[in-house]
Amino acid sequence: MKFQIDSSSGPHIGIVTLTGRVDARNCTELQNSFMSWLMDTSRFVFDCSGLEFIDSSGLGTIVSCLRKALDHNGDLKLAALSPKVSMVLELTKASKLFSIFPDASEAVNSYVTGTKE
Amino acid sequence: MKTLIVIREKDYGWMSSFFPGVHPLVVPICNKPFIEFLLDFAILAGSTAVRIVSDGSLNSVEAYCETGDRWGIELGYGSIRQNDSDETVMEKNRLFCSEDRVLVINGFIFIRYADKAGLKSFFAETSSGSLSRCSSGSIELTGIPEDVSAAPGTLPFSLTDLHSIDSYYRLNAEILTDYPSPYVLPGYSNEPDCHMGRNVVISKGAEVIKPVVIGNNVQIMKGAIVGPSAVIGSNVIVDRESTVSRSIVLDNTYIGEQLDIVGRIASGNTLVDPETAFLVSMEDPHLLAGMNKAARRQGLVLIRYLAHAAIALLLILLLILPYLFFRILLSVTAKWQTRAVTFYGANEGKSFTSALPSISCGGTTCSLFTRLSLDRFPMFFHVLAGKIGVIGSFPLEVKESGHGETEIFSGYRPAVFSYAEAEDWPADAGESAIVERYYAVHGTPAQDIVLTVKAFLNRMHPGEQE
Amino acid sequence: MMIRERNHNGVTIVMPVGRLDSSSASQFMSGSPSFSGNGKIVIDLSEVDFIDSTGLGSLVGIARKKREQGGDVRLACLNEKLRKVFEITQAFRLFDIYDDAETAAGRQG
Repeated sequence: MKFQIDSSSGPHIGIVTLTGRVDARNCTELQNSFMSWLMDTSRFVFDCSGLEFIDSSGLGTIVSCLRKALDHNGDLKLAALSPKVSMVLELTKASKLFSIFPDASEAVNSYVTGTKE
Repeated sequence: MKTLIVIREKDYGWMSSFFPGVHPLVVPICNKPFIEFLLDFAILAGSTAVRIVSDGSLNSVEAYCETGDRWGIELGYGSIRQNDSDETVMEKNRLFCSEDRVLVINGFIFIRYADKAGLKSFFAETSSGSLSRCSSGSIELTGIPEDVSAAPGTLPFSLTDLHSIDSYYRLNAEILTDYPSPYVLPGYSNEPDCHMGRNVVISKGAEVIKPVVIGNNVQIMKGAIVGPSAVIGSNVIVDRESTVSRSIVLDNTYIGEQLDIVGRIASGNTLVDPETAFLVSMEDPHLLAGMNKAARRQGLVLIRYLAHAAIALLLILLLILPYLFFRILLSVTAKWQTRAVTFYGANEGKSFTSALPSISCGGTTCSLFTRLSLDRFPMFFHVLAGKIGVIGSFPLEVKESGHGETEIFSGYRPAVFSYAEAEDWPADAGESAIVERYYAVHGTPAQDIVLTVKAFLNRMHPGEQE
Repeated sequence: MMIRERNHNGVTIVMPVGRLDSSSASQFMSGSPSFSGNGKIVIDLSEVDFIDSTGLGSLVGIARKKREQGGDVRLACLNEKLRKVFEITQAFRLFDIYDDAETAAGRQG
């Protein structure tokens, strides 16, 4: 799990790189970290290219992160979902809640240009 | 006429990753085991006897089809080997094939037909030879027909390859929408595109949209939508407000609340996207889960455990002093080392780790150490814990590459000693598996005790067998 | 245990009669000179009405020995009971199994 601010294209966008698994064991860590990242920005991109598996608690955490970002007038966009992760998102209908992009840079750009997907 | 069904592991092997533990011939297509479609075709073509031959195991196929009484045919089974040519296969089945014309269904193929009634006369009047061929198989007719009137015009059937999970998925969908259906599908059917099994409960507010096939003991809860184009197996629950459409749900599957299963295959806790062949195993039982029936033969399992634990305890008491003696002796000379080895456990996904002594020396001391089976001493405690047996299969070590799993067979019961050791079988892994499988079926707890003693004694006198 | 032998196209067909189990397996293994050497043989099991793990072991042993010496063993005429034992133990993976002994012998050599 890595967090960095990308301001190359103007607005401050928090890019979170998720790796391995997001599940019951480490989702509280993500939840707590997200609260601190919210101090810096409210616009997020979760880069999921290294995310191999997500279970329902992990999914719940990401959805609650989305809610908080929306509460702060921001957004949380997902990028580079692996086929397996995106199957879980479709199964649970979570895919309908998020804007999903094929890779992180497109997700970042969408904040600048305002495109939606 | 007779029918010979030849099916090879190389053609159906891909299926085992999607339907582990189920023989591809009994994997259901629209809730009907695949083999039944083949048998139906053979019977419609005029066969009175069918033989299924394979280079893989046919155990579960035989358990399902038995002797064919249910279909009023004579059903037999045979074995071939992996590299046998089609010619060799025919020779191995010479007696079966000699008396009559034989329809040879070769490969992992589905046979589609529209006109049931015309099949019999077609085969009776068609001259021998290869009739149809596709990439994973062919249909051929051997023997001389009594009365050949004309060369076949258009074939009254066509072959569909079953070579990928996508082809399996599409076949289900096609059969489901193929009406009036030439195939007999299980369940009651008031309408041509809706088949329902016994004990199907559709709650108020749930919706079922045709075409569907639903198995036995199925509950569709409030607000759920099933269909269109859904195949639901037996013992399935579709929980509240979930959608299952353009999908196949196999037997014994629980679909949790508020889920979207669209264009997928769900089986137990796994979800497959047929188009990409990606497979996800759910870890959350409230999303997808297998519905296991209560463990059978619980009583026998307990008796087995007691017998094994008793003899393990006896051996522990017998060997504890020698073990400690050697341990101290070898520690003094710094030859004592232990190595943690992880083995596959008896149940899928379970493993156990044992710290086994690995001593590095030659000579009498070491040979005595092994002869007394002290190198396996720590494993006896796993027997007491009920994790392994005292006699069974050679435990398979979990390798980091993770490829060992393919070697695990259904009768795999890891143990301190193996049946092969009891019977002085050659220690070749493939051959010792034969004797392990034999006792997996024929063994009794009392026999296990005798064989444990034999194995123990055999290890004590190595090289004295013939 | 009785062991009959016949010859077809120069191939020895060995036919054990009776039970192939722990009491007869070692007798069977030394029961025919054709079990050693590089010749190809057929074991006709039509008169074997029972086989246990030791009996299977003797067949595996004979096959192994023959193959090491460049010969081969084919099996023929398994009755239903034997076929089931071969099926559950997957011993069929190690043997060429034929419907009848003559066909098994026919194309060899």
